[in-house]
Amino acid sequence: MAAACELPPGVRVESDRIALSYRTIPASIEVGKPFVLELAACPKKGAAVAERVKLDARMPEHRHGMNYRVKVVPLANGRYRSEGWLFHMPGRWEFVFDLGTERLTHSVRIE
Amino acid sequence: MIRALLGALLLCCSAGAGAQLLDFTDAETRAILRHGPWPAPWSRDPSNRVSGSAAAIELGERMFFDPRLSSSGQVLCATCHVPYRAWQDGRARAFGLADTERNTQSLLDVRYQRWFGWDGAGDSLWAQSVRPILEPREMGGSVAQAAALVRGDAELSCRFEKVFGAPVPAADEAVLAGIGKALAAFQETLLSGRSPFDEFRDALSRSDLSSMKKYPEAAQRGLRIFIGRGNCGACHVGPAFSNGEFHDTGVPFFVAGGVDSGRHGGIRKLRANTFNLLGAYNDDRGGSSAVKTRQVAEEHRNFGEFKSPSLRNVARTAPYMHNGSLATLAEVVRHYSEINPDRLHSDGEALLKPLRLSAGESADLVAFLESLSESASALAPRRPAASCRR
Repeated sequence: MAAACELPPGVRVESDRIALSYRTIPASIEVGKPFVLELAACPKKGAAVAERVKLDARMPEHRHGMNYRVKVVPLANGRYRSEGWLFHMPGRWEFVFDLGTERLTHSVRIE
Repeated sequence: MIRALLGALLLCCSAGAGAQLLDFTDAETRAILRHGPWPAPWSRDPSNRVSGSAAAIELGERMFFDPRLSSSGQVLCATCHVPYRAWQDGRARAFGLADTERNTQSLLDVRYQRWFGWDGAGDSLWAQSVRPILEPREMGGSVAQAAALVRGDAELSCRFEKVFGAPVPAADEAVLAGIGKALAAFQETLLSGRSPFDEFRDALSRSDLSSMKKYPEAAQRGLRIFIGRGNCGACHVGPAFSNGEFHDTGVPFFVAGGVDSGRHGGIRKLRANTFNLLGAYNDDRGGSSAVKTRQVAEEHRNFGEFKSPSLRNVARTAPYMHNGSLATLAEVVRHYSEINPDRLHSDGEALLKPLRLSAGESADLVAFLESLSESASALAPRRPAASCRR
């Protein structure tokens, strides 16, 4: 029997079909400094578990993304660890969480 | 809060000697403070086990000034990286054994960089240090020649053994990797001294108005443009004034017989390089140093992108841009003031817009850039090292 899907503490983002939480290591993102992102995703009632997880980030106002492709390693119970993150400019960045057919985004401002 | 305090102090002290102080907002103050302190913290390069080693620095310094690494026996690292020219050469484009297409970058503060060279083809300072030794138009040497030099010179081989704690390796490639690591250890010591901007920035951090007033008003106005309307701080971030990444700034990349593909070609060279951080010569057992190399993305927009250089000591490192096509800082400011967005990559970032600076504003921005020059060198005088003894 599969373990219940619980979201650990972190930044919580939701859609109708999925809820996720993420945290970065280190917690404070600095321009030009690499970081790791840990993600937990739980499908809501009746929704399917995402088979494919793709993570990215972009600066919508600048019309560009990162200069790196994030590597996502699945862990147990809907958790993922990703590395290769680096925000190379200050300003508004938007995390993009592609979880199967669902796309969730979350904006952060980096100084 | 900071602004309120400074405002009150400005009112009471504006009649004092020195420059008038601009009333920087809290947001501006935060932006200014992010360009320091200087020198910035630094830690040894985990991919180079002799990073920070005094013996490696001495060996690296000797090799930096040794022309025998070149095929002609006449070109040394210092041919292009001239100590009294802020460790660059003052030429538009480098010339070793023949002309090249790119400007020589200063080595000052190179230890803070993530990628090396205008195209970032080097992912470590030691790998980058190997590149010009082998490049036919620069030093034109070879792996075998470099290894033979170390093995055949009693002083160098003695030092090499002491630095790495083992006999000179039998494999030529391993010897060249060691040379690169010693060269890197030396270059890590090349640090810019503190500048008038640093004094202003630190005075601002402690609300020391009398010290702040020593910073010229023109430089203050230029600083305001730099962190504000100019948006220069989008790429020239932090204490080193560089985000270490790559951008298309509308500088033509046509060269004789073709184009300089910039970062696009740099990523391909990086991946093909035996000495990259994914290879056998990376001393970082944990492997975190290689994440950038493994995860770097090759995009079409990388074509014609070049690295944002540090701006420290920028007034001493003319000419400018990857091809040395702009002779003065005034020309660089004019380039960004009048930039034609149509010349930028169509699928590139939407960041640069013509600033339309007035003559006075342009002069202020230049005054700010000049204030990033060191007031005194941070480099200690070098003393000849005693001969190596086994």
